[in-house]
Amino acid sequence: MTLCFIVVLIMPLVAVAGALLIRSPRFAEYLNLIVSIVVFLAAAPLPFMAHAPVYFWHQYLFIDALGGWVALCTSVVYLLASIYAVGYMRLLAKTKHLPGFYALFAGFAWTMLLAAFVNNAGVFWIAIELTTLVSTFLVGFERAAESMEAAWKYIIVVSAGITLALLGTVLLYWGGSLVLGPSYDMTWQVLQDVAQHMNPMVLKLGFLLVLVGYGTKVGLAPMHTWLPDAHSEGPAPVSAMLSGALLNTAMLGIVRFLAVIDAAGIGWLPHTALVVLGIFSVFVGTLFIVRQEGVKRLMAYSSVEHMGILALGFGFGGVLGIAGALYHMLNHSLNKSLMFFGAGNVMRRYGSKEMPAIRRVLHEFPVSGLLWLAGAVAITGAPPFGLFLSEFSILRAGFSGPNLWAAVVMLVLLIIIFIGFLSHFGAMYFGRQPEVAPKGPVISSWCVLPMWLALIPLLVMGLWWAHGLMQVFTGIAYELIGGTL
Amino acid sequence: MLVAPLDPLAASIFSLITIASMLLSFVMLGSRWLKDYMYAFGIQSWLIALLSALVGYYGHYPELYLIAVLTVLFRGLLLPYLVLRILRRLHVGRELHLVLQPSTSLIVGAICVIFSLVLAFRISTAIGYPEKIVVLALTVMFTMKLVGFLILSIRHEAVSHILGLMLLENGIFLGSQILIPGMPMLIELVVLFDLLVAVACFGVLVRYLLARVGSTSSLELNRLIG
Amino acid sequence: MLRDVLAQIAQVLAVMLLAPLIQGFILRYEERVQRSQGPTILQPYRDLWKLFHKQLVIPDTASWIFWAAPMVAFTAMLTVPLLIPVLTNYPLPLSNMGDILGGGLILTLGTFFINLAALDSGSAYGGVGSSRQVMLSILVEPTLILVFVGITLMAKSMLPFVVNHLLVANNAVFWSPTHLFLVLAFFILLLVETDKLPIHSSTHIEVYMIEEARILEYSGPLLGLLNWASMMKQFILYVIFCNVLILPWGLSIHGTVLGISGAAIALIIKLFLVGMIMVAVQTSQSRLRFYRYQEPLAASFLLAILAIIANQIR
Repeated sequence: MTLCFIVVLIMPLVAVAGALLIRSPRFAEYLNLIVSIVVFLAAAPLPFMAHAPVYFWHQYLFIDALGGWVALCTSVVYLLASIYAVGYMRLLAKTKHLPGFYALFAGFAWTMLLAAFVNNAGVFWIAIELTTLVSTFLVGFERAAESMEAAWKYIIVVSAGITLALLGTVLLYWGGSLVLGPSYDMTWQVLQDVAQHMNPMVLKLGFLLVLVGYGTKVGLAPMHTWLPDAHSEGPAPVSAMLSGALLNTAMLGIVRFLAVIDAAGIGWLPHTALVVLGIFSVFVGTLFIVRQEGVKRLMAYSSVEHMGILALGFGFGGVLGIAGALYHMLNHSLNKSLMFFGAGNVMRRYGSKEMPAIRRVLHEFPVSGLLWLAGAVAITGAPPFGLFLSEFSILRAGFSGPNLWAAVVMLVLLIIIFIGFLSHFGAMYFGRQPEVAPKGPVISSWCVLPMWLALIPLLVMGLWWAHGLMQVFTGIAYELIGGTL
Repeated sequence: MLVAPLDPLAASIFSLITIASMLLSFVMLGSRWLKDYMYAFGIQSWLIALLSALVGYYGHYPELYLIAVLTVLFRGLLLPYLVLRILRRLHVGRELHLVLQPSTSLIVGAICVIFSLVLAFRISTAIGYPEKIVVLALTVMFTMKLVGFLILSIRHEAVSHILGLMLLENGIFLGSQILIPGMPMLIELVVLFDLLVAVACFGVLVRYLLARVGSTSSLELNRLIG
Repeated sequence: MLRDVLAQIAQVLAVMLLAPLIQGFILRYEERVQRSQGPTILQPYRDLWKLFHKQLVIPDTASWIFWAAPMVAFTAMLTVPLLIPVLTNYPLPLSNMGDILGGGLILTLGTFFINLAALDSGSAYGGVGSSRQVMLSILVEPTLILVFVGITLMAKSMLPFVVNHLLVANNAVFWSPTHLFLVLAFFILLLVETDKLPIHSSTHIEVYMIEEARILEYSGPLLGLLNWASMMKQFILYVIFCNVLILPWGLSIHGTVLGISGAAIALIIKLFLVGMIMVAVQTSQSRLRFYRYQEPLAASFLLAILAIIANQIR
């Protein structure tokens, strides 16, 4: 397992170095692709092998099941996005900047993988800040006015938000220092052990600050204002990475702090706060999905909604809630990548980001159009796809817990999203013929293959919840709840 | 935390430096000229570095001397220099206040200070350490956070946003020097470097903003709606 | 007992007689700093003498307020020196008539009556001056009250003598942030109340004048009284600034003749120092636009609040 870990952390750096040193676009593309395949193969077995946490490097890095699972989701999206990027970035006609793009891309993947394995709360913050800094340049890659606006908004809002998380971390460290003495290593385990001795007011304040701070990075409303801009203005593979991988990594931070608070047992506040933010995110996502004009912004608001559902899953708690939320992470990563790939294809073909200009998709994309439509049905939570199973688990956890109202509201909002989302797709697929025929370039098979690779596992996971997965989830849940159900 | 035997001279020097830093954050809030803003930030960083060195001296944490020197170099010299370079390229001398006049924002800042004080009193009595230095550190930390967010909200120049973010970080750094001086040095060092990288990124982004959007004022950034 | 009564009378006389000296000092050195000759320090005395020998002209539309206002203003300025430490640092017989807040109220009473008198004669300039002065008062008074509250919280007493003793005895309080912020806040208020830049400027250009507009209708002895009253107000405020806040040393402790005269000389020296600072302020700034008057006052308000907060954490 050590070998897998080292491979996962070193290979993206190799890709960065290679892309920067040998400034050939083709070489950078293929190097990135190979590295992403290797990283996926190395990261895939990690959550299944990590039954007990394994520590590295003076306990600053570790592998546990939760971090391994998030790293798995990240590596899946990295692989799919790398395949897609080979075809997509060639259409952008910026071959001079492509090696830089792939270097940033691999660097971005590296920072996210690092964040999943960090043991120290302070270093975790630094890793999250690094992800912001690297991905800003990816968002602003096209250097148009809208891209720069999106990149600027992203970096300012998210940096300001995670300073709140830093304040929360400092307060929690202070609370711990009153018990443990002035100097100690702020690992997750130490925090969990000392939590019940810490003052409850400091715990509550620290957790709320961390929730709002990392919640800005996750995209929970009302801190989501950067998300639609950043996810819609970057190139499609970057959007897939942002939505599919980065939001999960930020959620990891909230979940780890939630475990610390649960170990202290201070009552209903943390979970209720998470549930309230989750419901508000789903609500905001619903409102903006129903009335939406841009195709990538539609996907971005769908991300907001799904992050709200994830927050609800962790907020409802219990084995069922946590298992559902973890399953939701992977399913959402696959599905959102699929949706962004389809959106990218359609945007290039039709030459426009607005949905009213996109009509009769099946005419232009006979095969990948069907894939995209299946993805749309999947992302609204319909069976037989994976998201149905995970949302169902989360709802079951909600109905059996104290926040019943949230589960009911979530159900109603999901129905509204189903109607709204699919009405947009209905118009795009079965609407009238566009006035102007699409004149974009033909989409290569590089851009269609990842869609297949995303849809098939989604279908499989919707029909069959593997026993091995359930074991991993139960293990993680027991770790997070601390053995008390 | 430096609770136990802190002699009165040290306590009063700490409180003087801390309150002067807070006053400088209000200077940042109420100034029109971006250069004044930046100089206030620079002086504030120097004061915080001085505080760091003093905490290291009185609390016997020798590694804090290194942190103090690095703070002076990075936050006190390099950051203002980078921001000055951005300013020079920008042809913008001052901020035209459209949301809130500087005088009104000073009054709002005063309300923030009162709120922070009340919050700090509550926390320190709940914890059981109602020493003045703890209340002071918490008050100043929360005040600088609130004033930083206020600056981010009511100003529209890109440089103001950058300095507002740096003020947020300065506030946390100041509070952490007094409350948790024993924080492992690795964390503090990496946070410092991280800030530097962040400001470098800001510099690059501002250059792109100027080239593509035509101005760095956020009032011009209104293309993405819905 | 008799000595204390004589000391108190000496205080009032000192204020009355030395006020034009300080004004003359400031006017002369403003000119000298700008490299012109400047009037002598004793010029205001000559101006007052001239005014008291001139003819009195009263508008037809004036009422009794026109007569009463200069009297009230002058009397108020004579009353305040009874309450504050001017020459001695122990309370004199009538000093417990009022505390810091009372002193502030009496000073404002004089301004209030002059405002009424300016409106009384019905001229447009009077109305303009009054309205501007009232607007400034609205901005200044809350901050002034907050400064008084800060001083009271710092010394835990409302008497200026207690504040004086505290600052002389306790160095830590003197250099504490509370005291320093209060000094800065009061300094800004001092600039406003004594008609210095960047708020006032002593011009007769009608767009700018505040003080001159109010007393435009006055002439002769009444104008002399009004000018003297404004000079005494400046003197009193400087005395409060020095003896209560920033330079509390140099006051007579026992009330002997030698002590009193020494205190008078020390007072003149302290006020010359403050005068030099005022000269620096006057010659280095220009007047603010009318709608920017609230900026230095908002800064003063903030400093007062910071002083109170710093006091709570002291």
